[in-house]
Amino acid sequence: MQNNFIRVWKYPVLLAALTVFGLLAALAGTGIWHLLSWLALAVPVASCIRFGFFPGRGIGVKKTT
Amino acid sequence: MDVSKKTVRAWFEVHKWTSLICTLFLLMLCITGLPLIFYEEINHLAGNEAEAPEMPLGTPRMKIDDLLVSARKTYPDNVIRYVYWEEDHPNIVTVSMADSIDAPPTVANLVAIDERTGAVLKQPKFDEGFMYAVYKLHVDMFAGIIGKLFLGLMGLLFVVAIISGIMLYSPIMRKFNFGMVRTEKSSRLKWLDMHNMLGVVTLAWALVVGFTGVINTTSEIVLGLWQVGQLSEMVAPYKDAAPLEGDLSPLEDAIEVTQAKEPEMHVSIVAYPGTMFTSKHHYAVFVRGNTPMTSRLIKPALIDAKSGALTDMRTMPWFVNALFLSQPLHFGDYGGMPLKVLWTLFDIVTIIVLISGLYLWFARRKAQLARIEELEEREIAVPA
Repeated sequence: MQNNFIRVWKYPVLLAALTVFGLLAALAGTGIWHLLSWLALAVPVASCIRFGFFPGRGIGVKKTT
Repeated sequence: MDVSKKTVRAWFEVHKWTSLICTLFLLMLCITGLPLIFYEEINHLAGNEAEAPEMPLGTPRMKIDDLLVSARKTYPDNVIRYVYWEEDHPNIVTVSMADSIDAPPTVANLVAIDERTGAVLKQPKFDEGFMYAVYKLHVDMFAGIIGKLFLGLMGLLFVVAIISGIMLYSPIMRKFNFGMVRTEKSSRLKWLDMHNMLGVVTLAWALVVGFTGVINTTSEIVLGLWQVGQLSEMVAPYKDAAPLEGDLSPLEDAIEVTQAKEPEMHVSIVAYPGTMFTSKHHYAVFVRGNTPMTSRLIKPALIDAKSGALTDMRTMPWFVNALFLSQPLHFGDYGGMPLKVLWTLFDIVTIIVLISGLYLWFARRKAQLARIEELEEREIAVPA
């Protein structure tokens, strides 16, 4: 149960954390902070493109049946 | 039905109903939001923005009171209500005028002036054209504060829809991999997977932009609370003072005395006595900091417009600062062009999530209706 929760939420939580970091980083400063912000926010956007345009089985430890 | 199945069912109902109510409005908000991300750029291209000509670095600025003469010449029968400086438009001061000091807030004749020469660069128009219509649709659907608060309510439903969507994600994805999109079975299944995947990937962005949008709809309420709270405390000693008469003290001095108190900050906007951001006796000089964050957290100083003395300066209360910080987080205008492009992509993904959600509801209904019909036909064919 516990493991399954982590398995389901591992990537969504990671992406949410990157998003929140990206949103706040650009507010915290300019220069390097802006760059970090763009990089962090590009990850969820890239994920949408990857899984949306190249649909498939997704990623995870467990094999789907 | 066991408890967990019942819970899932309940979240499904919450997700369905909150989404159904808010989706069309959210679609409108997402679509009008797209051009608004590039409001500055579009305004610039449309030639509705003042541009200061190149001059040698360090060309001295004229005194603000002398610059204001240009504004008064442009609209001789108007009064000055606000004077402001924009971070990304150096060497330009903009004067907002109206036929009377207590004209409605929507009335503003703007004059953009070159700070070095006093030349009128532009009389920007903000209340006409395509972008204004898009802006009004997005903010209040041309329905004033009622429309604004209504959109706030839709935003709240959107936030609840996202949260209920999160609650549904666990049971749906229990046996599946993250990012899975099944294309081989049916279009409904494909779009269900797409909806879930795009929704979960962008949920933090949608929550932040949705919730800060809701906060932005409370701007009139926040202003009112500030007026009856901090502002009235700050001007309390002037409650029974005689009305202002004659010439006001020089604005240049008011700004100087404020800068002396906060040398690290820059003047962002000055409100003239009698406007909604100050008393009938004070200039309110608002200063801002230098980072993307502190530039939003403006701080008011009140300057007696007769004696020129600074009577009070405070930090804004938390709920005003919360509104100020909600603005960039909603607009996406605080991290250069790459952030705006990312904002656009997130917005497009949200539009896909909304439309696919709507499609899934239709498709599900159709499937359910078909099943009921089938059962009914069977009943008729084989009477029990």
